[in-house]
Amino acid sequence: MAGDGAGGRAEAIWGLLAAHAAGRGAPASVADVCAVCVATVGMSGAAVTAAGKPGPGHVMCVTDEVSERLEELQLTFGEGPCVDASADDRPVLVPDLDAADVVGRWPAFGPAARLAGAAAMFSFPLQIGVIRVGVIDLYRRQPGPLSADQLGDALVFADTATVLLLDRQDQAAGGGGGTGPGGQPWLLALRRAEIDQATGMLTEQLGVGIEEAFVRLRAYAYAQDRRLADVAGDLVARKLRMGPEPDPCRDGAA
Amino acid sequence: MDLELLPEAFVELADTLVAGFDIIEFMHVLTGRSVELLDASAAGLLLADPRGELRVVAASSEQARLVELFQVQNDEGPCLDCFRAGQPVTAADLSSESRRWPHFAVTASQAGFAAVQALPMRLRDETIGALNLFRAAPGPFDRADVRVGQALADVATIGLLNERTLRRSETLNEQLQSALNSRVIIEQAKGKLAERLGVDMNDAFNLLRSYARGRNRGLSELSRAFIEGSDPLADLSAGPARPSRQPGQPPGPPR
Repeated sequence: MAGDGAGGRAEAIWGLLAAHAAGRGAPASVADVCAVCVATVGMSGAAVTAAGKPGPGHVMCVTDEVSERLEELQLTFGEGPCVDASADDRPVLVPDLDAADVVGRWPAFGPAARLAGAAAMFSFPLQIGVIRVGVIDLYRRQPGPLSADQLGDALVFADTATVLLLDRQDQAAGGGGGTGPGGQPWLLALRRAEIDQATGMLTEQLGVGIEEAFVRLRAYAYAQDRRLADVAGDLVARKLRMGPEPDPCRDGAA
Repeated sequence: MDLELLPEAFVELADTLVAGFDIIEFMHVLTGRSVELLDASAAGLLLADPRGELRVVAASSEQARLVELFQVQNDEGPCLDCFRAGQPVTAADLSSESRRWPHFAVTASQAGFAAVQALPMRLRDETIGALNLFRAAPGPFDRADVRVGQALADVATIGLLNERTLRRSETLNEQLQSALNSRVIIEQAKGKLAERLGVDMNDAFNLLRSYARGRNRGLSELSRAFIEGSDPLADLSAGPARPSRQPGQPPGPPR
């Protein structure tokens, strides 16, 4: 995908996701991320697993039978790229499942994944610092590495899936967070240290965990129709304070 | 260049690579040592995120961090040129570089820097980041200094690949994302500690860093434990006592 820096890439990807979601007539979800990621990055399939802590997660979506099988196999054997990505908080990139070191690394999963039809697998943790919500697994029927461009795109899809899963958790918990369709552009790829610092500050101001602090920060920016980076900057400069409660943007649903 | 410090610095860096290795702490030690060894007032280190942006991973001072950040956000400056070309870029007198970098030249001089030397971090054919040296006084950089600076940039690359062998070219990208996420974890912990103690981000960082050093803990690991609540940093919560400045710590304003 052509992208002018991180912002251009993120915006282009969000455009594709929004169009795909609009085609389904539904708000963007991790299912859209999987489908568009497969098409954009040139993969055969994708799956998203939700998990807050390392260990077995909950499969949120799969694009095909092979993806489903790969998730099943990892859950069964307790090993595989997704398991390692989750435990080590880092991507696990396996361009060739037939490579000599794969069987040593995943003696049960490696051969079974080949048998299931995968030749290459790429797993990305869905994380923002300490926040972790799951893993996105990509597979291809043909072996081969990701190009630099494909890697960049895959990372932005992972960032997007992270935010969508956080919003989903928040909505399930009755929160009003999230940007919703047509919300602010997903410029998370344009990382700003202030956003991370502000998230940390909010854990103290609101007395909540880091995941909720991040959701509340974004919800506040959305409700005030302000850029996330600007709100974060005000928090860090101590021109703005949130909480403890009631939080103005949550209608007292703290 | 201070030749007497050179072996000591490399021994310390090699030591950091082994015991309780933390990539972000390592990069900070490296920028601090660069300032001490070379004729520089400040140093900063950038890594390339495959998403398409350079990220400031470590800096010897807040001024250096801001000047690095300015370059990334304005897409202009010697460090970006260095990264793009994969070659060293030098500017002995920034006051005469307003045509080359109209915005950066102004910002750098406002931050107190008059000269800059940018050195690429290279792995085989790939440029993965840059080490940048800033100096308050104008003038060319000593050739021996530049060579040692490049050696330090190469050590930074080795640090990034630590623990893992280079059999797989995927390793670098896995490590890079791990390092970038560690940086985010530390920013989150800085925010939490700054809020708890009522100090600014720079003080929060120095406190976290000296706490981790004093207890032989990894900076990222300690930061994670603090956010997750498994380590309340009890001794720090007592009050915003400033850590005593150690040789490797980020100094205040540029010298």
